[in-house]
Amino acid sequence: MKILIVEDEPKAGDYLRQGLREAGFTVELVHNGVDGLHLALGGDHDLLILDVMLPGLDGWSILRRLRAQGRTVPVLFLTARDAVEDRVQGLELGADDYLVKPFSFAELLARVRTILRRGRSTLEATSIRVADLELDLLRRRVTRAGRRIDLTAKEFGLLELLMRRHGEVLPRSLIASQVWDVNFDSDTNVIEVAMRRLRAKVDDGFETRLIQTVRGMGYVLEAPEGPR
Amino acid sequence: MKPARWSLTARLTALYTLVASLVMAGLGVLVSVAVNRHFIELDRDYLADKIRLVQQIAGEAPSAPVLADRLDAVLASHQGLFIELRHGDVPVYGAEAAVFANAPALPGPDQDPLDWPVGERTLRGQAASTPAPAALGGGHTLQLRIALDTVHHSHFMGALHRSLALYLLGALLVSGLLGWWAARRGLQPLRLMKERASAVTAQKLDQRMPVAAVPVEFADLAASLNAMLARLQDDVERLQAFSSDLAHELRTPINNLLTQTQVSLAQPRTPREYQEILASNAEEFQRLARMVSDMLFLAKTEHGLELPRRERIDLREAVQSLFDFYDAVAEERQIGLALRGEASVTGDRLMARRAVSNLLSNALRHAPAGSTVAVELSADHDAVCLCVVNGGPGIDAALLPRLFDRFFRADKSRQHGEAEGTGLGLSITQAIMAAHGGRVTVQSAPGRTVFCLLFPADTAS
Repeated sequence: MKILIVEDEPKAGDYLRQGLREAGFTVELVHNGVDGLHLALGGDHDLLILDVMLPGLDGWSILRRLRAQGRTVPVLFLTARDAVEDRVQGLELGADDYLVKPFSFAELLARVRTILRRGRSTLEATSIRVADLELDLLRRRVTRAGRRIDLTAKEFGLLELLMRRHGEVLPRSLIASQVWDVNFDSDTNVIEVAMRRLRAKVDDGFETRLIQTVRGMGYVLEAPEGPR
Repeated sequence: MKPARWSLTARLTALYTLVASLVMAGLGVLVSVAVNRHFIELDRDYLADKIRLVQQIAGEAPSAPVLADRLDAVLASHQGLFIELRHGDVPVYGAEAAVFANAPALPGPDQDPLDWPVGERTLRGQAASTPAPAALGGGHTLQLRIALDTVHHSHFMGALHRSLALYLLGALLVSGLLGWWAARRGLQPLRLMKERASAVTAQKLDQRMPVAAVPVEFADLAASLNAMLARLQDDVERLQAFSSDLAHELRTPINNLLTQTQVSLAQPRTPREYQEILASNAEEFQRLARMVSDMLFLAKTEHGLELPRRERIDLREAVQSLFDFYDAVAEERQIGLALRGEASVTGDRLMARRAVSNLLSNALRHAPAGSTVAVELSADHDAVCLCVVNGGPGIDAALLPRLFDRFFRADKSRQHGEAEGTGLGLSITQAIMAAHGGRVTVQSAPGRTVFCLLFPADTAS
């Protein structure tokens, strides 16, 4: 997976590149709009991450020119301004997502993976399995090592999200948004409590703990020996 | 076409001059009509006098030549007088003057004389009859026509009109000047207000318009300006307080981060320790980021923002979905959640849910274990009401007015944990309600604290 970052702030760009590389992506980084457009037109990137305010050529213009050339490469915008008009303009131009600074890297990573997963819909699985934990999506039933686990509807939704994206660190804001449709800053304690209760049902009494807290980042569900 | 922008002084001067000129022109017309009328009356008397004279001469004349001589003598001593005597169609005297050739039917001596033009002159005449003198056979009457040249009147009227016009012109100039002077003087209080207004700066917002010193017409304006200044002063002061609060709120976490980072760098540590430190930093940074985005949200909302989307919101459904969100926390603290009533409003769904969520989060934080947090929905003709009720010790009445201030925390002793809010929740709720044209109220007594969101009834659907 190849990602092009166009970000004029050197420190931010370097950290993004490092973070995405360590998450397993191939990353190119340029610091101005003109180089960004040039590379984007000449390359075969799977995703562009564009800062809106760029020297030379701004993010909107890069996107406009790419779309004018028929390029459908997905684009994620980063911006320091959170104005409704900006958001609308971005989406009208065909941006795929929009993150307002400051954002957490876990959030960015989660969104990047969501975009990249889009359009590559594999056959809709009827069950998901991670280690000895199995989620039956049709019968809404969870078993671990053959033992049935009773979950509430929301707990099931939460576990489904963690399992569908197993191995990924999911930030609390993303969890709140995906499971409870809470798309605003809220009491983060709520996610902690919900996670603790889910973990008690899923992990208590088993030798390996599948659900882990990554301090300062979020939560991840993964088999202990699985790739991170 | 853009209308020309006239200054107030120019407008007033122009209006004043216009009014003055109309009044004076009217007066001029009146004078000239009166003078003309006066001349007509004078002429009537004069003509009547001459008719009597002719009748007398005709009555006494012993013969036709004597009559003609005497009448000639009369004409010679009266410049511009014309006399004609006829007997039926037979001219008796004065026919050679021919001034009566195209005269209209002339009125009698008891009526106003009539005017008619002869060449360049205008004649004014009357008709009468006089008994024929005995010398001419007697027994029948003669028709008398008598006329007067009005040239001396027209000379006088011309002179009068010229002097009236001159006077009017002079008076216009003077009244224009006077009007300008009066307007300037009359507008003096405005200049005073302007000077006061220009003395107002962000640092000197305590300047006020002199309401008592300006004329009554300006008193309202001055009072409104003062009210505006008071609001501005209030806003600026709140903004200043907010900025200093903000600096303070940011200083604490930044200080923590800096200290922690520098202490960690002071000597080598194990990767595990570094990890711990970075994780703790990340948590603090997230809190900072949340604070910044909350403040941006507040700033935007308080800027009288237009609701991005207006749609029908079923409040019962919205609360129910938030109950799902807070369910785990409530259960863990052994707090029940109850929902009563039904209502819906129109507004921005995301913002409305955020307002309710903030109240629920607060209620859950302060409700004692074993109690119930209840949400009550109701609607009457002037408001749709969503009340969140919780138990607990209640809020000190002295703190209630400050509850919605930014960064205000009733519980000062509480450490800001990661779960702790930014201290902006109630401010945000209030701003959201203001954007919906509603408000948020609070009542608190020991054992019962009630926060209510009041949506105006016109948003009810």
